[in-house]
Amino acid sequence: MKKTLLTAFIGASALSLHAQTYDFAVSLPDYQGDASSSVSYGGQIARHALHNSLKKASKSGDLALMESYFSSKAEGLSILDPVSKKGFAIKQSSIDELSKGKDLKSSAYPGTITGWPGNLTGPEVLQQMVTNAANTKGGYDPVNGYDYTQLISKFTMGAVFYNKAVNDYLDEKLEADVKPNDKPYSKGAPYTGKEHVWDEAFGYFGAPINGLELTPKEVVQIVKLNPDYFAKADANKDGVVDLKTEMAFAHAYYAASIDASGKTDYFHTILQAFYDGRSVIQDAKGKVLSAAQREELKGYAKVIGVAWQQVIAEAAFKYAGSVYADLEKIAIIEESNGDVKKAYRNYVKHWGELKGFALSLQAAGRDLGRTQSQLDRLIGFSPVLFGNAQVVAANSKGEFTQSESVTMQEYKLNMLKVQNLLSSHFALTAKLNDRTGGMDDVLEQLKSGPSAEND
Amino acid sequence: MTTVDYGGWLINELSLAVSDLVNPSKRVSILYFASALFFAFVLFLFRYGKGAPRRLSALFSWRLWWHPSARVDYALWLGNRLILSLLFPKVITTLGVVTWLMFQLREVGLSPLAMTIPDWSVIALFSLCYFLLDDFSRFWLHWLMHRWSWLWAFHRVHHSAKVLTPFTVLRTHPVEGMLFYGRSLLVQGSLVALFVTLFPGQVSLLMIGGVFVATYVFNICGANLRHSPVPISYGKTLERWLISPAQHQLHHSAAVEHYDCNFGVVLAVWDRWFRCLQFGSDQQKLRYGTLSTLDQTGVFGQYLSPILFLGRGLNGRQAGLIKTTLVNAGKAKARETTQAKPE
Repeated sequence: MKKTLLTAFIGASALSLHAQTYDFAVSLPDYQGDASSSVSYGGQIARHALHNSLKKASKSGDLALMESYFSSKAEGLSILDPVSKKGFAIKQSSIDELSKGKDLKSSAYPGTITGWPGNLTGPEVLQQMVTNAANTKGGYDPVNGYDYTQLISKFTMGAVFYNKAVNDYLDEKLEADVKPNDKPYSKGAPYTGKEHVWDEAFGYFGAPINGLELTPKEVVQIVKLNPDYFAKADANKDGVVDLKTEMAFAHAYYAASIDASGKTDYFHTILQAFYDGRSVIQDAKGKVLSAAQREELKGYAKVIGVAWQQVIAEAAFKYAGSVYADLEKIAIIEESNGDVKKAYRNYVKHWGELKGFALSLQAAGRDLGRTQSQLDRLIGFSPVLFGNAQVVAANSKGEFTQSESVTMQEYKLNMLKVQNLLSSHFALTAKLNDRTGGMDDVLEQLKSGPSAEND
Repeated sequence: MTTVDYGGWLINELSLAVSDLVNPSKRVSILYFASALFFAFVLFLFRYGKGAPRRLSALFSWRLWWHPSARVDYALWLGNRLILSLLFPKVITTLGVVTWLMFQLREVGLSPLAMTIPDWSVIALFSLCYFLLDDFSRFWLHWLMHRWSWLWAFHRVHHSAKVLTPFTVLRTHPVEGMLFYGRSLLVQGSLVALFVTLFPGQVSLLMIGGVFVATYVFNICGANLRHSPVPISYGKTLERWLISPAQHQLHHSAAVEHYDCNFGVVLAVWDRWFRCLQFGSDQQKLRYGTLSTLDQTGVFGQYLSPILFLGRGLNGRQAGLIKTTLVNAGKAKARETTQAKPE
């Protein structure tokens, strides 16, 4: 009897684990095709592979190579990252195996990016970065303090993936009159309008379908292609890791890496909301979603949007701390008349990451209010350079103008303010690389508000 | 802003003021009213047996709660809420001060302590330092308000209360409210900056139910009785260390012999140090107010009173003293008393 109960329990556990996998059967009653799954987001994974490859290409100085991944929609492109290595075989080696005719540029946020000089839109900022990167050695511009590899990568994640998911698929496409649930997304498709919209957003987040069964640490190691974690990655045990279903990309990786600190649970929170939202659509069984169902769906979309934004803000917070530490190192080396080349390189790299994430926050149509202008001013258009200068403008050719600014040491104060601002505006918890000593938490405890209590 | 916007702001601010009644970080929270009553009842039961309810009866009289002086308390409470809501967002923030101070401390070479200190020790040390510095700075500012004429001009609004109710704690001129804010900014800013520089990531305050433990204990043990018609003494031994409700009521007394005593909030040691401690008694019968026309003045008159007071002083005999800003407020008060018509 005991044994039977135990077996039943294990069976139920396995079933519930299986149920947490992001895979759903075809729900359209009139579907005539062979597909058994209604989940499809190959185009999004193709863009993840384009982004990873562009990041690699950005160090090459080869504009044509960069453009092929950024804007060409060309066929026959090989995936530059991730690629198979010993002990970690990857199923796909070309972009076409994921989806054809995709690019990054055309999906970038079309609004103006106030945090970058020149009053440019999202695609224009990225284009300028790509073009400029081709004129540098290894994507590094020491004169203006730009690490294009980091800038391009971090801003692409925000302007394309985060923007398309939260500003498009999880926003206007959840309305009743668009992409209805009682019709195939396109003629003959095994998925409904709403199913596909939701799945595309899931695809842009970049998590493996069994993500709820993986720990954040495992996700991080899978992205690093650590052979010790291959078995965890290869969920269907076919001997290769399928980029469509078994790999993590972009913000899913950052969510997991922040969660690995043990203070947050962004990765699973977002995944659970995606899963629960998709279940709501699935339960409608190919019929039009009721107003209540759409409201429920919007509730999950909100959870995803808030946590996703927090992940980006947490990453910016972390790199603001790195920039602060780099400036301290530079000051120490300068005092002893040492060679600051390496420390300066790290400073520029970390600033690029900070800036890329900070720009991402404004690239999804979310109103950040005063926080946006404060972030723009505190971080500036470039890091503070030797000679206490900063980039203040750019011309139509993408050439930058520098002007006198604060000292590098005073710029550290800006980094503290950036961390405080991010922490309070986005209600951050992990706060990695915190250089403020946790002051905002203490002040929150002391908070009293406007009153005039006498003695 | 349209009329609707102003209406919305007005309703929002007033409802926030009323929400103080259920906010455990505010002294006027109903929780603390109830606990103060319970505290007083148990103490009186222990001291006077069946006489306990009679001693508390004044608290249940509508004459107290609807006294013209109490109505001015309510009006100032709500009026200040509106005025301060306009001023607060514009003033410098504690976070800004702490950030700047911490940066300066680091720049002059202060760095995290090399040795590892357990979190609980940092929390205990920070909480103790905060309590002491906060309590002393409150005492000192209060002492200055009685000492300097131009500060007394604002503080006398609080002392013009003819009856004391728990809401008298909010009978404050907004300028005084801003001074309290400045004091708290300075204390919190410097202490937090110092601690987060020495112990980054470890600093926290000892809290109960979201409130600093010292504030919580002080309030739960009947802080509201300080402004009430019920005199409660802790006995001479304890009153050398802690300010009792009876001692604070002596501070409000209109009698000349009680002027400028018991400025402390929680600890009595500061008053001992400044030689101005007086002991209270359960039997004391006091008359409150400044014995000036201010005691009968409505809310608008209270707001304008500092200007009139200082103007009168500058035109009259006080001018020279105000210039030196070292008027003994006791004398100033006494002068007022002799100048004012007796009621």
